[in-house]
Amino acid sequence: MTTDAFIRELCSIFGEEYEGVYDRAVKCGWLDTEDLLFKDRTITRKNAARIIHMYLLKVSGLSDISGISGAEKLRDLYDCRVCTNHVAQVYLRGIMDAKDLSKDGGFLWFDLDGEDDPETNRMYLKRAAKYAARSLD
Amino acid sequence: MISDRPSVIDDNKLRFDSFISDKKPLFDGRKRRLPAMGWNSWNAFGSGNTEELTKAMVNKIKELELYKYGYEYIVLDDGCYRPERVDGRLQSDPVKFPSGFKAMADFVHGNGLKFGMYNDIGTKLCSGAEVGIYGYEKTDCEDYIRWDIDFIKVDNCYYMWDNATFAAPENAKYSYAPNIRSIEVAGGFYSAVKDAIITGTRAEVKDDYVTFIGTFDGTGPENSPTGLRSSELIFDVLAPDAGEYDLIVTYATGAEEGVGQWLQIAVNDEMIFDDLMAETESKDDFRSSEPFKVTLESGVNTIRLMNHRRQENTLHSYAEIKRELINAGGDRDIVFSICEWGKTQPHDWGNKVGNSWRILNDITFQVGSDGDHGTAAWESDYTTSITSQYNKAVIMDEYAGLDFGWNDPDMLVIGMDGIDMTMNISHMAMWCMLNSPLMLGLDLRRVSKGDEIFDLITNEDLIALDQDALGIQAKRIFTTYECDDPALSYIRDNDRIDVLAKPLAGGDIALGFFNLSTSEKTLDKKIDVDLILQKIGFKMEDAARFKDASSYSVKDLFTKETKSVDEKVFSVPALPGCGCKVLRITPVA
Repeated sequence: MTTDAFIRELCSIFGEEYEGVYDRAVKCGWLDTEDLLFKDRTITRKNAARIIHMYLLKVSGLSDISGISGAEKLRDLYDCRVCTNHVAQVYLRGIMDAKDLSKDGGFLWFDLDGEDDPETNRMYLKRAAKYAARSLD
Repeated sequence: MISDRPSVIDDNKLRFDSFISDKKPLFDGRKRRLPAMGWNSWNAFGSGNTEELTKAMVNKIKELELYKYGYEYIVLDDGCYRPERVDGRLQSDPVKFPSGFKAMADFVHGNGLKFGMYNDIGTKLCSGAEVGIYGYEKTDCEDYIRWDIDFIKVDNCYYMWDNATFAAPENAKYSYAPNIRSIEVAGGFYSAVKDAIITGTRAEVKDDYVTFIGTFDGTGPENSPTGLRSSELIFDVLAPDAGEYDLIVTYATGAEEGVGQWLQIAVNDEMIFDDLMAETESKDDFRSSEPFKVTLESGVNTIRLMNHRRQENTLHSYAEIKRELINAGGDRDIVFSICEWGKTQPHDWGNKVGNSWRILNDITFQVGSDGDHGTAAWESDYTTSITSQYNKAVIMDEYAGLDFGWNDPDMLVIGMDGIDMTMNISHMAMWCMLNSPLMLGLDLRRVSKGDEIFDLITNEDLIALDQDALGIQAKRIFTTYECDDPALSYIRDNDRIDVLAKPLAGGDIALGFFNLSTSEKTLDKKIDVDLILQKIGFKMEDAARFKDASSYSVKDLFTKETKSVDEKVFSVPALPGCGCKVLRITPVA
C-alpha cells in the first residue's frame, strides 16, 4: 500500500476530506512534507505508526500515554529515535501489533521498516478510529 | 559522492593511537570556549518546528532577556529541511520554513542572537529526510556558510560504516575485525587464544578463536565510558633475523555485531593493512589469508590485529565537515556540536573536531509539539531520563575542559511533563556542575518573568558554575553507594546521595549534594576540606589558601543565604527525594 493510498484510507475511515488533505495536514502537523513528496512509495510500518499517532494527537485531540516503558519489550523500540514515541503510542493502545520472531513468544519486534498488506493497514486504521471514538465518549 | 567503502585514512591524527598520544585539535585556530547556551527546537517541537514557532521563541528570548544570562544560540534541529535535495542542494521545508534559512538566520541575527542548524553524517537525517551530509560535505558547508550559521549540530543516523543503533546491522563488517584463530610468521605459529594478549574489554575467547575484536557501542547506558573500551589482539613474534617475512592470518568473516570483515594489522606500530579481508563462507569457516609482506626486526616484534574503524570512520566523517566549513568560510568560529550519542566513545576523539559530544542516546523520545509539552523522566532503564544521562556524565570529568571540549548529556528537559520542580532544579544544577551545554528545550511562550521556571533557568549563581572561566567539570568526590572509586565507578543504582566538587576561578569551589533517589535521604557524612583537596586540590587555583582559610563563606545557590563556617567540614540537612543542595564556598583568610 502506498502512502497516498494509506492516507486516502485514513480519510475514508475518519471522515476526513481527501481533497487538499496534504496541505491541511502538514500545516496541522499530522503529515510531513515527505508524505507528499514520497506519496507513491510503499508505506513502512514506522510511517504508518507516525501518521496514526499524529492524527490521534493533532486531530482527535488524544493526549499521549505518558509512560512508554511498557513498549520496551519491543526490541527495536530505540532503533529510530524519531519513531520511538509514535511506535510506543500505537503499540500501547493496541492499534498496531508487534511481530514475534521467536516460537515461544519472547522476541517482540515492531519491524520499523517492514511493510504491511493493505488489509492489515486498513485494520490498524479502523482500530485507531475505534480507539479515538471510545476515548472521546 | 557516495563511496562503496570507508575512506582511506592517511592522517595518523585520525587514528586510534593518536586519541591518547595527540589530543590536539585537527585544525588550527580553535577557540577555548565555554559550553554553549541557547534554545534548541527538538525537545519543544520535535519535527514540527516551524519558522513561525522559531520566531516566537526568538521574540520570547528578547522579552525575557534570556540573552543577558548567556542564552544566545537558536538551533533548528531535525525536521526543518525539504526531505529531498533540489539539484543536489539542501532547501528548507517549503511549508514549515517558507522564507528559507537565510531569512531565518537574518531574523535571529537581527535580534542580536546566533543561529544554529542541524545535519547528519549519514545519508539521511534521523527523521528520514534524504538530505544527510554524507557525500555532500562541500556543497552543504558552502550553503551553511552562505546562510551565516554560528552553530552546527551533527547527528549520526543512517551511517554507512557502522552497524549499531540507527544503522544497518550488516555494516558490522566494517566495524568489527574477523574472528581470528592464529597467525603464522617467520617460521612460528601463534594461537590467538594461547599466545596473544587481548587488550580492552570488548573481545572474548570462543572455542579456539577470538571474537568481538572492535569497540563497544556506547549509545545505550550499559557500558562504562571509562577505561579501555576497544580490544586488540597483540602477538609478540620472534624473528631470527631482520628482514621481510610472510604473515598469514587464519580468520573467518561475518557481518553481525561482534564479527566483521575489516582488519587492521600493525607491525611494530606501523599500519601495514587496513581494509576488508576476502570474505569467508561463514563466521565459523576459517581460512588462511594470502601472505602479507611484513618487515621484522631481529628478535621480538609486536603484531597487532584490530579494527578501530568504528571510531576512526566516525571521526573522519566529522572531520570532513569541519574541514569543509573552514574551506568555505575560513575561521568563522562556528560551534561544532557532535551528536553521535556516545556510540563510538567520542570523549576519546571529539576534542579533535568538536566543541562538545553527546554521551548517550536521547534524554527523551517523547518530545513535545505545539500545544504539547512532551514528557521526560527522572529515571529509566535506558538513556531516557535525567539520571541516566547524569550517571554517565558524572564520571567523565577528565575528558572535558577548555582545551578539549564538553561532555554533552543532551538538552535540558526543564518544563516537560513527567518531572516536577524539585527534579527540574536538580537537573539544572547537575548540568551546571557538569559543564554541560545548556540548551533549553521548552516552548518559551509558557515562561514569564518571575515564574519558577524563569527563576531556575536564569539562576545566575548556577549558570556561573557552568560558565566559570576555569572550565573544570565537577568531580564526584563521595557517594553513599559502595564502590571502588566515586570518581570512576559507573553507578546506575539511584538509591544514593552523590557529592560533587568543582574548582572555580578565584579559588572558590562549588559543592553539590544530589539525592538521586525518589525518597528523602540524609547524608550522615560531613565533607571535610582534606577530602576536597585530596580529590580536586590539584585542579584548584589556590589549594593552599583554601586549606589554610580561617573560615569559609558558604552561599546556598538556591536560597541565596550566605553563612560563615568556622569548621573545616561542610554538611547539608536531609535532602528531599530527587533534591539537591549546591553551595559556593569561598575561603576567608
